[in-house]
Amino acid sequence: MSVGVGVNLENLWIRFGDFVAVRNANVNINGGDFFSFLGPSGCGKTTILRAVSGFLDPSEGRVLIGGNDMAGIGPNKRPTALIFQNLALFPLMKVWENITFSMEVKGASTAERRKRADELLDMIALEGQGDKLPSELSGGQKQRVAIARALCAEPDVLLLDEPLSALDLKLRQHMRTELREIQQRVGITFIYITHDQGEALTMSDNVAVMRAGVIDQIGTGHEVYDRPATPFVASFVGENNVFRGKVHEISGTQALLETNRTGLLRAEITPAAIGKLNVGDDAMMFVRPEALAPVGATVPEDKTVIPATVLNEEFEGNSYSVFLEGAGGKEIKMSLPNLGQDPEASKGSELSLTYDARNAVVMPAGELASE
Amino acid sequence: MSKPRPFSQFFRNNGKVMGSIMLFLVLFWIVVLILLPQLSMLDFSFRHNLPPSEVGGPKDVYTLDNYKFLLFGAEGSDSRFNTVDLQVFVRTIIAAIAVTILDLILCYPLAYYLGQSKGKGITRLLVVMLIIPYWINEILRAFALRIIFGDAGLINDVLLLLNLIQEPIDFIRADVALYAGLGYAYILLMLFPMYNVIESLDRNQIEAARDMGASWIRIHRRIVIPHAKPGIASGMTMVFMLSAGALAAPQILGGPSSLWFTQLVYQWFNDSLNWQQGAAYAIVLLVSSIVIVLTFMKIFKVNMGDIGK
Amino acid sequence: MKSSFIGRVALVAYLVIFFGYLLGPLFVMSMTAFNSSAFPSISPWACYTYEWFDVLFKDERILNGIRNSVIIGIGTVILSVSMGLAAALVLTQVWPKFRSTYYTIIIAPILIPGVVLGISTLVFWDRVSNFLGPSTEAFLHNGIFLTVLGQSTFIASYAMLVFVARLQRFDPGLTEAALDLGATHTQAFRKILLPFMRPAIASAAVLAFLASFENYNTTTFTFGNYPTLTIELAQKVRYGINPSISALAFIIVMLTIFAALANEAYRRNKQRNEDARLKGVPRKAGRVLPSFLTGNPAAIIFVLLSFVVITMFWTAQSYDPGECKARVLAEKQALAAERIEALRQQRFQQRLEAAHSGVDIFGRSTVDPTVTEAPAAPESNGAFGGVFAPTNLNSTAPAAEPESNPGGAFGGVFAPTNLQGTDGN
Repeated sequence: MSVGVGVNLENLWIRFGDFVAVRNANVNINGGDFFSFLGPSGCGKTTILRAVSGFLDPSEGRVLIGGNDMAGIGPNKRPTALIFQNLALFPLMKVWENITFSMEVKGASTAERRKRADELLDMIALEGQGDKLPSELSGGQKQRVAIARALCAEPDVLLLDEPLSALDLKLRQHMRTELREIQQRVGITFIYITHDQGEALTMSDNVAVMRAGVIDQIGTGHEVYDRPATPFVASFVGENNVFRGKVHEISGTQALLETNRTGLLRAEITPAAIGKLNVGDDAMMFVRPEALAPVGATVPEDKTVIPATVLNEEFEGNSYSVFLEGAGGKEIKMSLPNLGQDPEASKGSELSLTYDARNAVVMPAGELASE
Repeated sequence: MSKPRPFSQFFRNNGKVMGSIMLFLVLFWIVVLILLPQLSMLDFSFRHNLPPSEVGGPKDVYTLDNYKFLLFGAEGSDSRFNTVDLQVFVRTIIAAIAVTILDLILCYPLAYYLGQSKGKGITRLLVVMLIIPYWINEILRAFALRIIFGDAGLINDVLLLLNLIQEPIDFIRADVALYAGLGYAYILLMLFPMYNVIESLDRNQIEAARDMGASWIRIHRRIVIPHAKPGIASGMTMVFMLSAGALAAPQILGGPSSLWFTQLVYQWFNDSLNWQQGAAYAIVLLVSSIVIVLTFMKIFKVNMGDIGK
Repeated sequence: MKSSFIGRVALVAYLVIFFGYLLGPLFVMSMTAFNSSAFPSISPWACYTYEWFDVLFKDERILNGIRNSVIIGIGTVILSVSMGLAAALVLTQVWPKFRSTYYTIIIAPILIPGVVLGISTLVFWDRVSNFLGPSTEAFLHNGIFLTVLGQSTFIASYAMLVFVARLQRFDPGLTEAALDLGATHTQAFRKILLPFMRPAIASAAVLAFLASFENYNTTTFTFGNYPTLTIELAQKVRYGINPSISALAFIIVMLTIFAALANEAYRRNKQRNEDARLKGVPRKAGRVLPSFLTGNPAAIIFVLLSFVVITMFWTAQSYDPGECKARVLAEKQALAAERIEALRQQRFQQRLEAAHSGVDIFGRSTVDPTVTEAPAAPESNGAFGGVFAPTNLNSTAPAAEPESNPGGAFGGVFAPTNLQGTDGN
């Protein structure tokens, strides 16, 4: 269990009739990684998971697990275990029978299965609950039983299809940590599917962001969040203010964008777009709400200033969200940490906003994630 | 290449062993039990009734004689048409329609009542009481009606006792017993489909309509009946088909002078031993019932998928 | 207020009529099983008797019919349940474009008249056996084989409907999960799908068995040398009725009622246990009734009805309708004597008139010998009835009588043949 088994997708295409669910996916997942596919519903991420687990054949390309081509190998012969979105616990079997189902089909004795079930129940902190039926467990307990059942099969790769989506917020946050801990303990490869960027960012070593069958970016959580490769990734992962315009000037890794309403804005060119952006191109600049700040008493020379009027503010506990209107009706959102004082921004007041150009990215214009 | 591959996907979903077993069973049912026998009967109905030695010989050719017989009767008979058999046919169809409508009228109020008073204890008891006669043999149910409607039956005895009549009424000869028996035999097949769909109707819809001042008639015409249409269609189709194809009730309850069309079929097979002629009659019965049902479904815009719900 | 009252009255009246129509005939039929009258009727009521049950249990043809029905029923259950299940599973997976065509084909047998199914099965297998040659004939013309196939054709559709309803609640993810955990398809079917379908399989099997048991239209063409109970019943009902059929009907009605009540009671009890479990409170037994009876009307009726039936069994051992029968017989004899006396008077009048007017007497007497010999009848009847007379008077010792087949004895007295027979002496 030390190194773990890697998974490779090579030029993977999956079609249903005329519909292309996955378009030329190339992914290398290292053994022992916690790897997430992040994307809105219908982007093809579950399809990829089903191709890895063996429930459907790729139309083109290959799925390799541990370097072996999986073509023609059924789901029951692959070294994977899948945790279903609705968990798919067997309702008529007791918890311990659920957990050790993979041993039952291999013909293990009841005593062996009981023993293994007890070990796994210990691990998921459900000691002594093995004789219950799944319907008698709470949502979080069912979740853990599903994980134990999958681990009992001793897979090389664990596949998780939005397993936390049915839980409430508190439990979801708790399970994130727990999942990550389990992964580190057992050391096998986890492939995780989610539409929740929070889950993807907190747990994963690497994230692939998908849009309509296409993988837009693969990287660590930091890379995806701070240096999004496409406007879609920038707008889908976390919140972002977007400014459209034309490239006015390029200097090193930075560019100056001439926007329609807000004037000239400076930002880093995102790594994926370096060399692809020329003066005069249509481009988009993204700056996170938390990267914006009101200008203090003195305006720093090298920083851009955006004048705006406060429309509204929402208190969110650890922070304030301030909604502003820039020149020409441009909507801007700013996030301020709650430092125990009233924010300076009160409704209707005029502010000048500024940001560090290193915290903003510019890239060729493209499709945004729809809300 | 991007075409769906139903068979490979089917075997992938079900495995080779289970997939083959399932496919074999379904094909056996559809081909060997449903399609081939019907086709073989159709083929048979176009042949002459020959002694075994001549089967496959030069005389074994296709013919329309069996159908001609139903229309025109035996050759050289004095009347132009086979009025006897045609009358039986028309009477059977019309009576089956009448029985269907009778059952519909009888069942609709109960289906509505049961469907809308969901979950109450009395409802469940009523449903249990409904199921009991459903499992009693068709023959026995007809027999029960014969006891009641017979010459010295209960109804005649009661009527005589009350001095309402002087002579026993021959319910059997008047076909009253037959119609009552047919309605009785299939009434639950009308009730249950209607009950099921009405049960799924949201009671709030009725309340809302009532709130807006709709009369009871309008509520039923505009809300309940449109919702219940699949169930009504399903029930009517089943009752009609089964009544038109009934054999037991006419044999037991039918008057001596009035035959049901299925009895003619039965006679061709079991009494006259002319299977070809019987097959032709059976085909006529099958095709005309299906045509009537399909016409009905077309008029009322009901789908085949609604049947059997 | 008033209109709602009228509405309630109308509703109750309607329910009474509906259920009267539905259950009344069954009730009347069941009652006739206990009337000693040789023709099934409840009016006039002669004597309360169990003799028709004896007649029923001694009827070889009925017993043989039951045996055939059970064999055919089991065959039909196996075939139609497996075909129905396979067809329902295919329906959930069939290519969407074909779904409605496929559904139409597998639902059609329900709508095809049973007569047509029987004929087509007969014709088709007859041809198959002609084609294959005479060696297969014995098997393919076997009534059991043909009947099972003919019945399964449409009963499988019923089974299919039951399975489709249940499958709609099945999560295909469960099968996938099993496969994913290493199960073979057969294991996944046996360990996951089959346990889930078990209640549906049970109800489909019961449904299929009952449908097979009561089928007439199809079976009447295919039964060959193996008449089922329904076929035998139909023969009896068509060609001669006696109340032993009512006795059989009574048994079937009672079995049905018991089965329905037991099922209902079981479901009610299970649901209440479920409710109690969800609330987390254990169900306490009532102080008087055991726990499965509390608030479970079906169970209570079940128990009460069981008592009634047990009582009936018990009394049947000791009950003897001989006394009553003798009385009825005497009444009938008295009535007959009266009638014959009246008839004789009438004939006498006529003869007088005839003699008066000179119409030929011989012609009449040859046409209707009873008329001329009528005076002899009461005497011989009286002698015959004299056997019973002591019992009639001496009501303390009726036990000797029932040994001599009573149905035959007094059924014969009033038959015309008997009258003629006595005439012959």
